[in-house]
Amino acid sequence: MKKVAVVGVGQTKFRTRRNDKTHPELTFEAINKALEHADIEMKDIEAIAYGTMDPFDGIYCPERWDVIAGGIGKSYMKISTGGTTGLTTALAAYEHVASGLFDIAMAVCTQRVGECVDAQPVLNTAVCPIYERHSGAGAISVAAIQATVHMHKYGTTEEDMAWVSVKDHKNALKNPNAHIKLDIGIEEVLNSPMICSPLKLLECCPRSDGACAVIFASEDVARKIRDNPAWVLGEATISDNYFAGDRPDLSHWDTLSIAGRRLFRAAGIDDPMKDIDVAELYSPFTIQEILDLEALGFAKKGEGKDYAREGITYPDGKMPTNPSGGVLCTNPIGATGLVRLAEASLQVMGEASNQIDDVETALAHAWGGTLQFHTLMIVSSKKRI
Amino acid sequence: MRVGIVGIGMTEFRIHEEPFFNVAYRAAKMAMEDAAIERREIDSFILGGYDNLGVGRTISNMYVAPAAGGYLRHEIRVSDDAAFSLPLAYMRVKGGLSDVAIVLGFGHSSETPVELVEVQSLDPLFHRDFKLAPQMGYALQSYAYRNTFNIKDEDAAEVVVKDREMARKNDYAFLQERINVDDVLNSEMAVYPLRKPEIAEWCDGCVAFIIAEETTAKRINPDPIWIEGCGWSVDNYFLGDRELEKLNSTKQAAERAYKMVGCKPADIQAVEIMDLTSDYHFMILEALGFAESGKGRELLKSDFPANKSGGGLCTNAYGSTGMFLLANLALQIRNGEIDRGLAQAMSGYGQNAVVNILGV
Amino acid sequence: MVLKFEAKWEIPFVHSAGEHGTKFFEALKEKRIMGVKCPKCGRVLVPPRAFCERCFVDTADWVEVKDEGIVTTVTVTYIKFTGLPDPPYATGIVRLDGADTGMLCLLGGIDLTDWKKVHETFKPGTKVKAVWKDEPEGKITDILYFEPLEK
Repeated sequence: MKKVAVVGVGQTKFRTRRNDKTHPELTFEAINKALEHADIEMKDIEAIAYGTMDPFDGIYCPERWDVIAGGIGKSYMKISTGGTTGLTTALAAYEHVASGLFDIAMAVCTQRVGECVDAQPVLNTAVCPIYERHSGAGAISVAAIQATVHMHKYGTTEEDMAWVSVKDHKNALKNPNAHIKLDIGIEEVLNSPMICSPLKLLECCPRSDGACAVIFASEDVARKIRDNPAWVLGEATISDNYFAGDRPDLSHWDTLSIAGRRLFRAAGIDDPMKDIDVAELYSPFTIQEILDLEALGFAKKGEGKDYAREGITYPDGKMPTNPSGGVLCTNPIGATGLVRLAEASLQVMGEASNQIDDVETALAHAWGGTLQFHTLMIVSSKKRI
Repeated sequence: MRVGIVGIGMTEFRIHEEPFFNVAYRAAKMAMEDAAIERREIDSFILGGYDNLGVGRTISNMYVAPAAGGYLRHEIRVSDDAAFSLPLAYMRVKGGLSDVAIVLGFGHSSETPVELVEVQSLDPLFHRDFKLAPQMGYALQSYAYRNTFNIKDEDAAEVVVKDREMARKNDYAFLQERINVDDVLNSEMAVYPLRKPEIAEWCDGCVAFIIAEETTAKRINPDPIWIEGCGWSVDNYFLGDRELEKLNSTKQAAERAYKMVGCKPADIQAVEIMDLTSDYHFMILEALGFAESGKGRELLKSDFPANKSGGGLCTNAYGSTGMFLLANLALQIRNGEIDRGLAQAMSGYGQNAVVNILGV
Repeated sequence: MVLKFEAKWEIPFVHSAGEHGTKFFEALKEKRIMGVKCPKCGRVLVPPRAFCERCFVDTADWVEVKDEGIVTTVTVTYIKFTGLPDPPYATGIVRLDGADTGMLCLLGGIDLTDWKKVHETFKPGTKVKAVWKDEPEGKITDILYFEPLEK
């Protein structure tokens, strides 16, 4: 199997609305930042995997328009898998290079949730129109129902969850690209308006406009591009059935556990706590970070709720998560998964804005559907664990 | 290491009463039965087909993934015509990340007016107010083609006659009524210069392939159909920036595929092409290198082996057309009719194109 | 100052319920809830589906389940989202007696103002019963919501 590394990443500044640019211009901004970071040119890119969640931007198949941002004449492929899009697009670009067919491939994702007047009805269309849509479920409600069960089973409190928000917001202050920059404490989170019980406003992600690009290169080429590439050690995706009611126990994200096991096996990881130095988790809602930690084995079941409060997931803790501020502070939905990989790669390269000490190996995660899919990737400064 | 197709499943292509994911399930089941394997022997599930709007559900792979057998397995989706998902599956297997994969293309047009869906792909700033339905985009290319190369309506009508004749003999095809040149020329003008029978109609249908890396493939099926080459490319979005009388992305895609195989157009024994209009038939064959620009119609006269399936003109399920063509090509190879064939597909107004070459 | 243009997507759909769905909805007209039993794993699946995704076989065994069951989770929405129900409304999952899967649905029949009270009333394990529309039409909304069995 060919070794592949991330050699360049680019992110736009994420805002509620990037009124200054059109869709392709926003894509171009991310692409250029990635090219600058890798110090290569557009002509060096052989293939592009483009991802987005179409309906949010009010443009169907926006890759057709965005091709003008540098894709004309290249091998161009569109990936769309709901919330995991960012990371499955990365997976596709990675596979372009791992196959040996291409030496340099780029994953690009653009999302302009800001152009959509209200994101929840769009998400509501993901829910089955005949059996489930009438329940008014959107992304926030599906996370809220997870929280209800976790609270009931483990005694997780509103405060436990709120600490995740405090941590993420603090981290975002150090990230120049992050969308929400609020210096808040536990009281502000707990006093914010209730959206879908028990989740309050400050426990939920914003809707962000922005784009991200990540460049993958084969081993020989990667070495020529930079001294500190982020080697891809493994990937995994998993898909559950679509009915929300099929999930056997919402207090345990079992599909993430299963995907995690596959990932760790592929990457040669024995003990995630020991072998992984930082994790960028797709947790647009506080409860989901807790569920992710438990599912991936960073915390025992029922103990994830203590991690933020006890500082374990803070930048100077034993298991730092979302030093970028995470999805809670920046969520350009279809691009978000790619941003997780971009941030994880920067941590491994030692070039992140909120750099954690001594990072060798980082994990990137994304989920999508009605709690249905997960995608995972591990990058490292080492070619083998 | 080669990668081969070891199982093929194809549903009927017509208007289906069942929702798209139930039709997809049938295709997956048929492919597994054809390969005589169970879903648990498959380690990757790669879907192809347009997202959301075609079936009124955003994230349509939510429904198709379990239908493909992807329950608790590795799954990804290429959101374009499913012919684009074959290269991704190929690359995953070639890269050693998977040994046995299923590629499932879903196409469903009957739940919504597809024209209205496609109109939303126009950018809201410059084009959407013109409400350019796909047929109009195709017609702009047809007009440029006929005008530039002096193609007569009768020449184009011959494509419809030929495709329909082939479709009549193909149980899987959708439009099978015999038609002659006069019927075409007397039909209502749909979008100038295309008359109604010169434009593909919409239908529903799904196709699935089981593909495997060489060693495993031979255990599943002693005669795998090898995926010898894939090439894909994309043209500009702005119609005004393109040479409308040509299909440049198809040309580039073909060149990449030929290069990968190490062959020339003369080495291809049959083609299956996505001729959604009569003129596209000529333009695609020219872009693939079988005729010079403007001379595609000579291939009709010389009985060039194109579209034994009836082509895209007779069977067009929004999202799975490309795989319908691939499956028909694969069956020709399986039946010993040819040793090497090429299937082409495209999306947008011929903007994104993919060419897959299959062989023994 | 940048210009902005408004747009709206109004695309009509006619969603097929398929043969399985049709049976389910026809039964709703009679205030009955039907599931399918997988011939291989034996799970009773509600909502019904044409194939068991785990065993990958057709499901043709119809089983009636009760219109009562237990709540597995709940949330109350307090904000108005475009096109979604007016708040407050409670969404939850109910596992009906006889079914092995839960069903996403609306919960109601009580005051939804205080979310803590709602979460207490509908805590996981609470027994609930369907409140039906007087004249069912064969749609999922024939079940207006589920309310606590014991008032």
